[in-house]
Amino acid sequence: MKRIYLIIALIICSASVYAQLDSIQHLNEVLILDTKLEDYSEGFELTQISDTLIERNSVSLTEVLNFNSTIYFKENGYGMVSSPSFRGTNASQTAVIWNGISINSNLNGQTDFNTISPSSFNTIIIRSGGGSTQYGSGAVGGSIHLNNTIDFQSKQSTELKLSYGSFSTIAGVFKTKFSSNKKYIDLEIDFISSENDYEYIGLNQKNENGNFDKINVSANAGFNFEKSTLSWNANYFLGNRNFSGTITSASNNSYKDVTTRNLVTWKKRSNKWNNIVKGAHIFERYRYYPNPESQLYSEGKSTTYLGDYQLEYKINKDLKVSSILNYTYIKSEGSNIGYKDRNTIAAILLWKHHVTQKLSYGINLRQEFLNDFDNPFLASFDVKYATNNWYSLKANASKNYRVPTFNDLYWNSSGNENLIPETSYQVEISNEFIWNQFQFNINGFYIDSKNLISWRPNVTGLWQPINIASTTNYGLEFSSEFSEKINLHFFNLTINYSYTKAINNEKDKQLIYVPYHKATGAFNYNYKKLTAYYQLLINGEVFTTTDNNEVLDGYSISNLGLEYLIHEKSIPIKIGIKLNNIFNTYYENVAYRPMPNRNIQTFINFKF
Amino acid sequence: MNLLKSIAYLLTITFLLTSCSQDDDVTILPLGDYENGFLITNEGPFQNGSGTISFVSDNYEVVNHQIFNQVNSSDLGNIVQSMGFNNDIAYVIVNNSQKIEVVNRFTFESIASITEGLNNPRYFVSSGGNGYVSNWGDPFDNNDDFIAVIDLATNTVTSTIPVAFGPEKLVIANNDLYVAHQGGYGQNNILSVIDVSANILESTIEVGDVPNSIVVSNNDIWVLCGGNPAFTGNETNGRLVKVETSDNTVIQSFDFLITNHPKSLTIDGSNLIYNLDGEVFSKEENSVSLPTTNIITGSFYAMTANDGKLYATDAGDFASNGTLRIFDLSTNSEIITIETGIIPGGVYFNN
Repeated sequence: MKRIYLIIALIICSASVYAQLDSIQHLNEVLILDTKLEDYSEGFELTQISDTLIERNSVSLTEVLNFNSTIYFKENGYGMVSSPSFRGTNASQTAVIWNGISINSNLNGQTDFNTISPSSFNTIIIRSGGGSTQYGSGAVGGSIHLNNTIDFQSKQSTELKLSYGSFSTIAGVFKTKFSSNKKYIDLEIDFISSENDYEYIGLNQKNENGNFDKINVSANAGFNFEKSTLSWNANYFLGNRNFSGTITSASNNSYKDVTTRNLVTWKKRSNKWNNIVKGAHIFERYRYYPNPESQLYSEGKSTTYLGDYQLEYKINKDLKVSSILNYTYIKSEGSNIGYKDRNTIAAILLWKHHVTQKLSYGINLRQEFLNDFDNPFLASFDVKYATNNWYSLKANASKNYRVPTFNDLYWNSSGNENLIPETSYQVEISNEFIWNQFQFNINGFYIDSKNLISWRPNVTGLWQPINIASTTNYGLEFSSEFSEKINLHFFNLTINYSYTKAINNEKDKQLIYVPYHKATGAFNYNYKKLTAYYQLLINGEVFTTTDNNEVLDGYSISNLGLEYLIHEKSIPIKIGIKLNNIFNTYYENVAYRPMPNRNIQTFINFKF
Repeated sequence: MNLLKSIAYLLTITFLLTSCSQDDDVTILPLGDYENGFLITNEGPFQNGSGTISFVSDNYEVVNHQIFNQVNSSDLGNIVQSMGFNNDIAYVIVNNSQKIEVVNRFTFESIASITEGLNNPRYFVSSGGNGYVSNWGDPFDNNDDFIAVIDLATNTVTSTIPVAFGPEKLVIANNDLYVAHQGGYGQNNILSVIDVSANILESTIEVGDVPNSIVVSNNDIWVLCGGNPAFTGNETNGRLVKVETSDNTVIQSFDFLITNHPKSLTIDGSNLIYNLDGEVFSKEENSVSLPTTNIITGSFYAMTANDGKLYATDAGDFASNGTLRIFDLSTNSEIITIETGIIPGGVYFNN
């Protein structure tokens, strides 16, 4: 209870982490790849995590979002498989969208947030609320948008960051970028390698078999023609992780995954009409080695081909409409699913109307065809009303869905080909207040999901997925940001807090691994070349059994960082140090899997 | 402090002396808190946690959970698969923690942990001062399965006997060890017969696909084979088989329908009891055909018959506490339902 008071006190005295998207200036030279997010989501809460914040938790996307949003993460030991719970929904109900395209695994429906390298993106945007009409399956609780920016301004930059820290952790990021008014190209390479052998505080045990290496390469290119643009985005990821054990059981298994993503976009503009054509290829493969010495493994892989045509028509300056036709072909193959494929055609209609300067609304519709199962008709409605310059109200309602995964349908012992998509209704109201340096948001949400796919033993004891569960989620989110500049001293404070009820309707109990309370805080101080920051993460207690009999304690973790900019002629050098878990708190994010003790990271960054 | 210590010492001595004099005529001391009841092994949550053991007294009035933890202040480990006994000592097989916890079966005080020489241990039986433990080895490797032989005097694995893949349940009958090869994550169809005087593999007996449970009756054994499940693409019928241990031959065999996959064979007197598609059936050993009407309805995770009662566990959603239902086999009516730990997988009697 003390913790709750503390949180409330913090909220009252202060204030969001991020710049709300509305306030972001868009230059004409910037190529927007995902117009759905920019133009057709006004009545949704969008929060952007800046590149500065990304850099401070650049180890994984899990860390970036853990410390900068109210999304809760369940991490199977540090650096291991990490799944989000967005507003109490499960991992396959949070869509991850890469430059406008959904990249959740076709095999298990999820994205492992420890296999996304945050350094390769310019912006990360969290879109709260249902987004299935625009982004398809899985955008139920919300979606995470990983965007690369292509801009046609004459610029050139190269950056190298090297870091070293506790548990023999070595990491590096190399970025280079060249652009003119006609061309853009960038290349980013990053890697991290860690023994990850931290001690379990007070247990006389170490985190055995938890070492990992990850390499990520990303490239983006754009060409600016007279009335059209052509762009290419590519991302390659290679992960090699051993999966750590628990306090009670050692582990010697390991996991290798590879993903490649390529997207080509052609955009043609005119006064009234915009044409956007996209083609994408996405490949994912995992190999699980139960005992690395024997070289025996189980494997799953999946390839997605996607073609997408968007025609946008501006009826007048306040009213525009987009129709999108999307074809997706997925083929998956694996030790446990055999060889299967799926065709989907989706027709999407997006409507955006600025009724007055203060009032706007949007309507989105989606219908899919050709699937192996009946696809529900999806719709969403959103409205934004800015009463005055300090307050605006946003509200939206939507029907969303999640299709069964290839594992659910075809798992060779027990896949169930009679599964239907999970469906979910949700409403959200958000209030934005802005007074000068102070910004404050309160959102309320309600999500009602049914036909949720759950693996249960059938009468013969065989585990099979069935559309059985239903959940009701509701809650409140607060976020606030306060900035102040006194002479050369710059202060910035951000606080986020969420209260989430996620009820399993069958048992009338809170879902496991969904905390009622999550809060994050960050304090940033800058004076000339010196920057200091403090990060706070509070996760409330979670239930680990569906009868809510067993509880995993909550925890709060603090990090402290210092950065200093050394100007050396034309090459600016930044050095930094970050202390994680400064109070050396023992905590488990998943039961019986202790998380790291106090540790240190250092870095040096060159800009050429 | 010294004064206090001296007083405490004196008081203790006085107390001991007086208690000794009073206890002289007591002949039977209770063996421990967990005598006269039964023990339930709860596997515990799949990945992240510890299995537990629950104790229930014979009159159901005393129910204690997590007794190993209570007595020894430590967790048993991940996936408490099963338990076996030798006299007053219980051997708790902790599958995913790759160990056996050796405890006094009545007090549950820890005696030793066997951590060497095991690889995915499953079940335990004892014979002539040795313990025998079935081990899957690497579940993805069908050629490394074995029976670990434990010297119960030293609690160490002294030798291993390589066997065919997927060894599971074990019984001792007619001075031999019989191993049912259920087949791990796959399917197998044999019993291994091991000579426990020499610890060597004597022979194998083909019984039926997926022998999942085995009981001893008058020195012979009954084996229940589940049959290959449909997803294998080679579905086969379940089968109940009687093996004569004098010459290790199958002397009786009852086939189920091809889509029937029975499990959890247990024996009460001369009644063979098993679970099939949400029903419990009872077959008199000498009857010439399989029963067609059930005695109890329900799909159970594990079943054990003892002294005219059936102890049947329900693991629920496998992510919360399960239940144990006890039935009176003379009336087939339920006596009581008792909440257990997570995934109750076995019931063992401590009398």
